[in-house]
Amino acid sequence: MRTLVLLVGLASIAGIAACGKKTSVAAIDPLRNAYDSEPDWNDPQRIIPLSYEQAQGKRIFSQQCVWCHADSTPAGPSNRSNVTPTPPLFNDGSVLNSESDEFLQNIITLGGSAMGKSAMMPPYGKTLTQEEVRSLIAYARAIAVPLYQPPARSSTKYSGK
Amino acid sequence: MPAEEMGKVSRRLRLAFAISSVAFVIALAISPVKDLRREWKRYKREYVRFAQTRPDTKRLLADFRPDIDQIWIPEVGVVDRCTTCHQGTSQPSLAGLGVPQPFRAHPAIPHHVQEWGCVVCHRGQGPSTEVAEAHETTLAWEQPILPGKFVQGACGSCHRGDLPQAPQLERGRQLLAELNCAGCHRLQGIERPAMLGPDLTSIGTKVSREWIYKWLKEPRTITDADGNVTVNGVENEEEPRMPKFALSETELRALSAYLSVQQAKPVEAVKFDPRVAASLSRKPDLADQGELRFRQMFCSTCHSLAVTRAGESKLVGGDIGPELTKVGSKVKPEWLAAWLRNPQGYLPHSKMPRYEWSDQDLYEVTQYIQTKLTDPDLLTNVPQMGAPSDDEMKLGRRLFLEKGCASCHLIDGIGSPKDFGPDLSALGGKNVSQLEFGASKIPRSLISYIQAKVVNPLSVNAAARMPQYHLTPSDLDAVTTALLSMTGTPASSGMGKLIVPQRRAEFHPVGEFGRLYERYKCYVCHQFSGFGGTLAPDLSYEGSRATRDWIIEFLENPQTLRPTLVLRMPQFNMTRQEAAVIADYFGTVLQHPEVNPTTVSRNEFTPQMAALGKELYEVKYQCQACHTIGSSGGYVGPSLNNAGNWMTPAWIEAWLRDPQALVPGTIEPRRPFTENEVKALTAYVLTLNQGSAPGKRGSGAAGARGE
Repeated sequence: MRTLVLLVGLASIAGIAACGKKTSVAAIDPLRNAYDSEPDWNDPQRIIPLSYEQAQGKRIFSQQCVWCHADSTPAGPSNRSNVTPTPPLFNDGSVLNSESDEFLQNIITLGGSAMGKSAMMPPYGKTLTQEEVRSLIAYARAIAVPLYQPPARSSTKYSGK
Repeated sequence: MPAEEMGKVSRRLRLAFAISSVAFVIALAISPVKDLRREWKRYKREYVRFAQTRPDTKRLLADFRPDIDQIWIPEVGVVDRCTTCHQGTSQPSLAGLGVPQPFRAHPAIPHHVQEWGCVVCHRGQGPSTEVAEAHETTLAWEQPILPGKFVQGACGSCHRGDLPQAPQLERGRQLLAELNCAGCHRLQGIERPAMLGPDLTSIGTKVSREWIYKWLKEPRTITDADGNVTVNGVENEEEPRMPKFALSETELRALSAYLSVQQAKPVEAVKFDPRVAASLSRKPDLADQGELRFRQMFCSTCHSLAVTRAGESKLVGGDIGPELTKVGSKVKPEWLAAWLRNPQGYLPHSKMPRYEWSDQDLYEVTQYIQTKLTDPDLLTNVPQMGAPSDDEMKLGRRLFLEKGCASCHLIDGIGSPKDFGPDLSALGGKNVSQLEFGASKIPRSLISYIQAKVVNPLSVNAAARMPQYHLTPSDLDAVTTALLSMTGTPASSGMGKLIVPQRRAEFHPVGEFGRLYERYKCYVCHQFSGFGGTLAPDLSYEGSRATRDWIIEFLENPQTLRPTLVLRMPQFNMTRQEAAVIADYFGTVLQHPEVNPTTVSRNEFTPQMAALGKELYEVKYQCQACHTIGSSGGYVGPSLNNAGNWMTPAWIEAWLRDPQALVPGTIEPRRPFTENEVKALTAYVLTLNQGSAPGKRGSGAAGARGE
């Protein structure tokens, strides 16, 4: 009898200890922890969370790139329709998703003519730091429509919860 | 007791002993077992297991220790044990949302976690080793971690000046300044400007009692036709600076009575030349002429008007001055003419330049404003109040003080009260126990308190005097972020050393130029050595950039250099002499230390160089993507049609070599031009001189003028 009580006591102690192990995974609003956000250009209802790096890309984009790679600019009209060939919109995944990060890094740094594209795209390698160029690419990836899928990382079976 | 029974008892006792010993040993064992099962140890073990599922296990476990990890920076007082559980913060391979917390790498930021710790940005309790203690509000610890959405507030605790990397913080600070929060509250880094709301000393000469009544009752919806909560009848992104106060009918009557008798300075009536007035009053298209003049003078650079296109009303124009769609029904005619003639005569602090008007222009523009910019329904719902009574005026004066009107507005003889609202300069570091939640049911946290207080002050304090603001959700978050950044003087001197102070610049020239600078309010739109507005180009080095002739011609008749801009430099109608004073001042004072316009002569550029430059411009570098020549080209950079007359050769060369060295942050990218290319492009740009009046130029008409 006593042994039984003892066993029950032990089991309950183990049980209490085990309870602490369960981590409560509450559904958290993804925007609650985002550094910045940007509405989808095609669907303003969809708000895209941005990390610090992506937010820096957004800032540099709105200073340097918005004039030709967007249809509306802080000053009003866009220069996009003035330029031939027409530059892709910054969120145009159908054009940018197939380009690698290295290619985008190079075309921003060295300019269009260095990469066999239009010379109207100037080189920004002496204006922006490589870090700033990377943040621009991170931003373009974040707002891409259709969504950007990074190339699959090889040899890992782990998938996030 | 017989001896044989003693053995029995002792056996039972022994059993009891045995059981109690076992229980005692178990009880003793609980303590080490509990220690083994500590939350952080579980995360340590989980991390090892997790690392083993990754391809780079070896690297992930290179620094692994089974103990508590700690970032200790004694000079700043940082003791952060967060990395005990957040073990992957500095592992680049653990970046991305696919990696579960708490092992995810920290996103790339300019501060390295090992140098700064975690709590300095995220707040929370650094020394704690339990999840709840570290992250949440507990009895012993009232400062929870900041949600990522508000983390920019922590940036602002140290970075007291401009911080473009933190857009939400910047927006919040801008709103706090624009909404005149500093009128009643003491804020960190936002000083109380000389004038917040308009000076009301002579308001009775400007508007009627009925208009004041209407404005006080519904400042947001004053000309709204369909009852929507819009500003002046149009959707407007800018929050009106005058908030809505909760005023009763008696209070409205009393305040409007008191304000309508404020006529300290009588209006100096503008006397039009009777012949001009007589000849003009017969013209049927007087108001149309006035409208044309209104447009030509670019009043819309500072003032917006509602424009209805395809059934949708939109405000078009700048926001430096007030919106004017219905101003004709607001102000008295004699006040309007006097104001346009000399704004500072009524409001000494006004940002409006004092234009040089001809009688005809002034007459036409006032007619336009009084007949076209009106709304017959503006005052329909306002009761007829008649002459103000003594009691009303007395009550009105009391209310003016009690409601805090004097915090933003000036009336002769009434000083602004000191610290009318609570001091908010350390709000961001307040504990929950220091806040009053009243009867509200909101979560007990600083963030929810700030937001509830801004959205509806009465919800947390039934006696609040604070007016109600209507902010969009993103603006509300921005204001919250900026308030969270105000943590006052840091607790330790080590933290104090981290503070990046705000920079302030002033530029107040004296002499003849100083007088014109004040009269035409150059600094409202232009920057001078870090002081002034950002609407128009920075003029700090204008003397190195522009030629004297061009400056004079531009000031007399401003032509835009950027064809797409709606907002242009207004026409001040300044005299040639005034323009020359300004150009001479620019030429002698506003010089870039590295660009001396006298060192490069126009004579050294040959037509051959210009021809090469044209080719470089059009083919190799395709500058036409952004710049316009003739009528073709892009809108991003300024039009170069008259660039040869506009810019000095020294400036063009220096600009081509490194634009950011001359104007930091300019969007023209710096290109890898060779020295020959710089010379050739400069030669080409100097040939571009369309648009100048022929024969007016005296300087440097050298061979480079090829076209």
